[in-house]
Amino acid sequence: MCKLNKNVFLILALFVAMIALGTPTAVQAQDVAAGSATATVQTPLTVTASAALVFGTIFQGVASSVAETNANAGVFTITGQATSGISIYLQLPDYMSTATGDDRMVITFSTTDCGVDTSANVDPTAATGYLNQNPYNLPTGVVIGGAGQTGLFLGGSVNPSVDQTAGAYTADIILTVAYNGA
Amino acid sequence: MKKNLLIILLLLLIASSQLFAQNVIVNNNLTFGTVYPGIPKTISKATAGFAAEFYVSGTAGSEITIDLALPTYMNVGSSNMQVIFQETDCAIDTSATPDQTNPEFNNLDPWHTLTYRIGSNGLYLWLGGIIVPGLSQNEGSYASNIVITVTYTGN
Repeated sequence: MCKLNKNVFLILALFVAMIALGTPTAVQAQDVAAGSATATVQTPLTVTASAALVFGTIFQGVASSVAETNANAGVFTITGQATSGISIYLQLPDYMSTATGDDRMVITFSTTDCGVDTSANVDPTAATGYLNQNPYNLPTGVVIGGAGQTGLFLGGSVNPSVDQTAGAYTADIILTVAYNGA
Repeated sequence: MKKNLLIILLLLLIASSQLFAQNVIVNNNLTFGTVYPGIPKTISKATAGFAAEFYVSGTAGSEITIDLALPTYMNVGSSNMQVIFQETDCAIDTSATPDQTNPEFNNLDPWHTLTYRIGSNGLYLWLGGIIVPGLSQNEGSYASNIVITVTYTGN
């Protein structure tokens, strides 16, 4: 009887200790898990003005044109993630100017002066794909070619006046390209 | 007799420990997928399969605090990419029928400690975010850790 009481007392003591010590520890239990955020970034775009639109020697009063499939057409090379959709925008000048700025000459671009080639070709004379495009409203649906490159070819016309100042004329042509997520 | 009592005591001890056991697991990582340089991308907390999903199991009715350790950048090699968590990018559902698209507690701030009670079906936490790749962001597979810490309050 005495032994049984001793056991009961021992059990009760341990039970109280368990409640006093074990439970508070469990109540403050903590668990940690580590998840992650992931993303795959595609190849950045690069745009290179590979060749200038060259009108060469022209004469006062005589207009001159260069087709987008001419060897003298302007060439832009765009590289990026193959087959990814891009939006392209050309900022075209209205005039070309002399280095000193003392005279300027009208330059125009028709609605068929641009070509976009999604092959790796950068030769305007061998252009394929989007030909005779409007450089002021370039086609949607353009992608970086399967080889990771797309070429843009640009023709245009100059209209020198009869008293155009002799000299070299230049103007900037700016191409902006951005991924559109397509 | 003594042996039996010791077994009962051991079972009580185990039962007591299990009563307050809890667990948090990662059901889904926050997955942005393919992104393009210069184009930010948002993953909504309501988008299943892409938003992060954490599940907390434990004693129903027990109050817990949830702390998220969130990254500000994702990395690959030496390249970093900004990741943003807004003050409404988190949601929790403790109901018996958790719904990611219509959670019980919506638009929660993941930057602050969240205090809720575990429901009969546990507790689900969803997290969205935004990444902002630069125009010349280096290509590659970026990653960063999101650490969740769950603690019983004893209430």
